[in-house]
Amino acid sequence: MPHLDAAYRFARWLCRPGEADDVVQDAILRAYRGFDALRGSDAKAWLLTIVRNCHLTAATQQQRRAFVPLPEENDAADGHAMIANDANPESETIISDQKRVLDRLVASLPEEHRTVLMLREIEEMDYAQIAAVTNVPIGTVMSRLARSRAALKAKWLQEVEGEPRAVR
Amino acid sequence: MQCAESLRVQAYFDREVDAVSAAEIERHVEHCSACRELLQDLEKVRSVLRSGMSYAAAPPALRAQIVQALDQDTRDQLSDAATGNETAKIATPRNLRSTRQARVFRGSGFWAGAFSGIGGAAVAAAIAVFLVLPSLSPLSNEIVSAHVRSLMPAHLIDVVSTDKHTVKPWFAGHADVSPAVADYEAQGYRLIGGRADYIDHQRSAVVVYQHGAHVINVFTWAASGARSPRDTTRSGYHLAFWQQGDIQYCAVSDTGWDELMGLVRLLREQS
Repeated sequence: MPHLDAAYRFARWLCRPGEADDVVQDAILRAYRGFDALRGSDAKAWLLTIVRNCHLTAATQQQRRAFVPLPEENDAADGHAMIANDANPESETIISDQKRVLDRLVASLPEEHRTVLMLREIEEMDYAQIAAVTNVPIGTVMSRLARSRAALKAKWLQEVEGEPRAVR
Repeated sequence: MQCAESLRVQAYFDREVDAVSAAEIERHVEHCSACRELLQDLEKVRSVLRSGMSYAAAPPALRAQIVQALDQDTRDQLSDAATGNETAKIATPRNLRSTRQARVFRGSGFWAGAFSGIGGAAVAAAIAVFLVLPSLSPLSNEIVSAHVRSLMPAHLIDVVSTDKHTVKPWFAGHADVSPAVADYEAQGYRLIGGRADYIDHQRSAVVVYQHGAHVINVFTWAASGARSPRDTTRSGYHLAFWQQGDIQYCAVSDTGWDELMGLVRLLREQS
């Protein structure tokens, strides 16, 4: 299944930990059913758009069912969203401290900033693709990218390279 | 201190600009220390992320579960087709092919199959729905599309100039109207150039301004006699319409309304 890994990563960036699997499965099934509607050649962006829609649907349904408030932007600050589901102590030690710090810092970004940053830097999508997947204008993609990069840089300098000053 | 060019520098870093803009930005970076530092930071963040983020792959258990669900889904569709229920009526050709599709989907040929294996009618229908639904106000959508297109590499500007005496005559040979062109740098709206575009079945003249990090496109075309459309917001872009003489204007941007209307006021006062 091409792009399954990308879909899975994207869902992990969007969702709370236990929800990513269901969202990905739902998205792949919908992609398969709606496969006639694939327009153009960009299957990856198309699949990720479906992942995002499934995530939004799931979040709405959950809210309606339980009246549990939706996660606030900063709720991910404890970093759980990015940490591997399998709490295997062995693999924990293998992951270097820096990687764990990075995962935590990325998780602490607001969701809309985190997803844009990850789509650009990890999935290597261009602005138009990111705009399509996240359903915002290209100008918004650009400003979110700028903000998330600046925020991540500041956090990284502070935590890892021990430079508390924001400006060099 | 952030430079007004920072978003363009970022776009340059992300390889989203054409060669001409890239050369311009390189010249700018030579004498702008803030932007030089920005480029270093962008490079730093990228290398930290690309070397440090865990590239999670879908767990094998999830993969297996999805394959199973797809099989189930295929069986359901086939039995739907056999019993002739609603799904079958809507999508008979698809159901006939669904076994093959399920197999193809899991193989590497799936996405290739998406292009070769689809019935033309289904594609046409999907495209028709996609095109027809949002076209309730075609003109606004046309303008937003043109605005978005203009933000892509190599589309923003045909004539690069901050001089109205260069931009205005250029339109004479390239568009059907001759709009008001002026530089309001002092008020924060810098004239950066002009472009010809095709709006409302005419060659439209587009004057491009920059306000902070935002681009404002002012589309102009011969008014068709009808009243000016109402100001509106589409996909996050504000559109302000007005007429002056026999020319229809529309200013588009993702700035706030106040910033956009500031330019509109200046342009209306001008002529």
